[in-house]
Amino acid sequence: MTFEELALPLLSPLYTYARWLTSDAQEAEDLVQETFLKGLRGFASFAPGTNFRAWMYRILRNTFLTSRSGLRMQLSIDEDPGRFEDLSVDSTPESELLARHDVERLRAAIQDLPLPFREVLLLVDVEEMSYRDVAEALSIPVGTVTSRLLRARKKLREAIR
Amino acid sequence: MNHLTAEEIAAIADGEVAGSEHLRECAACANAVLGELRMKRAVREAAPRYEVPATLVKRLQPRRSAFDWLLPIAAALAIVVGGGLVLRWRAGAPAGEGGGAAPSFELVDMHTTLLASSNAVDVVSTDRHTVKPWFEGRVPFAVPVPELAPPFRLIGGRVVYWRQQPGAYLMIAKGAHRISLFIFRDDMRPTQIRNVASEVWTANGLTFVALADVSQEDLRALREAFSAGR
Repeated sequence: MTFEELALPLLSPLYTYARWLTSDAQEAEDLVQETFLKGLRGFASFAPGTNFRAWMYRILRNTFLTSRSGLRMQLSIDEDPGRFEDLSVDSTPESELLARHDVERLRAAIQDLPLPFREVLLLVDVEEMSYRDVAEALSIPVGTVTSRLLRARKKLREAIR
Repeated sequence: MNHLTAEEIAAIADGEVAGSEHLRECAACANAVLGELRMKRAVREAAPRYEVPATLVKRLQPRRSAFDWLLPIAAALAIVVGGGLVLRWRAGAPAGEGGGAAPSFELVDMHTTLLASSNAVDVVSTDRHTVKPWFEGRVPFAVPVPELAPPFRLIGGRVVYWRQQPGAYLMIAKGAHRISLFIFRDDMRPTQIRNVASEVWTANGLTFVALADVSQEDLRALREAFSAGR
């Protein structure tokens, strides 16, 4: 497979991911363009058979982190396991039937999530990536993916309660 | 009885693991998985989606020969996007949009939900002469229910809604496995289905979507039973 064949189907998801990261349309475009250029240049070093999608996400994310707004972004978050208290699912399904205005509240709550939680949540729920792919894309352990995901969903539940 | 942990519940809802025997006997944990699936679905509804702006495609055009390949899609996207930035919130998109292709994850969610439910079907019968007439007046088409030969066994059916359209749901057993067969009018087809074996076909103005944790051959055999038995 050539870089073109592999990268083309990723244009749309990568752009969406860039928008989630930057929340700025122009910056997202720059990010995707740079990602494609870096991907093309680095493609010789990409090991066939490994995960190309995660590789491209990682390039995009690293590019973002070294950009000006990426550096501004507060990425230091409290990963102390003690803070993950009370993750048991305590709400009944009935209470989670979402009305229209709840969708608005949920949308606002997603936007309010700190980036490390928001990106894991969206990659798993919207892009349907596996925990392992997300871990690879974000260069974090699978256990961290799980804990961020659970914490993100907990925050959302509280927001729409 | 050891209940599932929050991690295990999430892993099941996220399709990381196949499921758990525990779910069959524990309503609390089954409910927790359902809650997680509902949350996932709500997030998908509420999450912002963006279309690739034509300006970006243009920027990826061949100043370098390596980007020659982007030209054809640039043309295609220019038609679709029509210039400028198109931002679309997913929940704001009208139902049934997209030339009849509707998101398949809703069907997969329904499949998972109904399998976890203790009363998945409203008409419980292995007899097609009971199930077929039950749908009359409940869905706007005649539901084909053929005589099923082993290894398949009819369990029952119910009415489901997908994209505001009523459809028939048949639950079919193959050994310990459960197969969900959704039948809708032919004006909607699901997008590509992931994470579960599926068989999609159309016949006599109806769309059939079979989902199950069984082999593709089994689903094809079921499809043949429905094609032959009308």
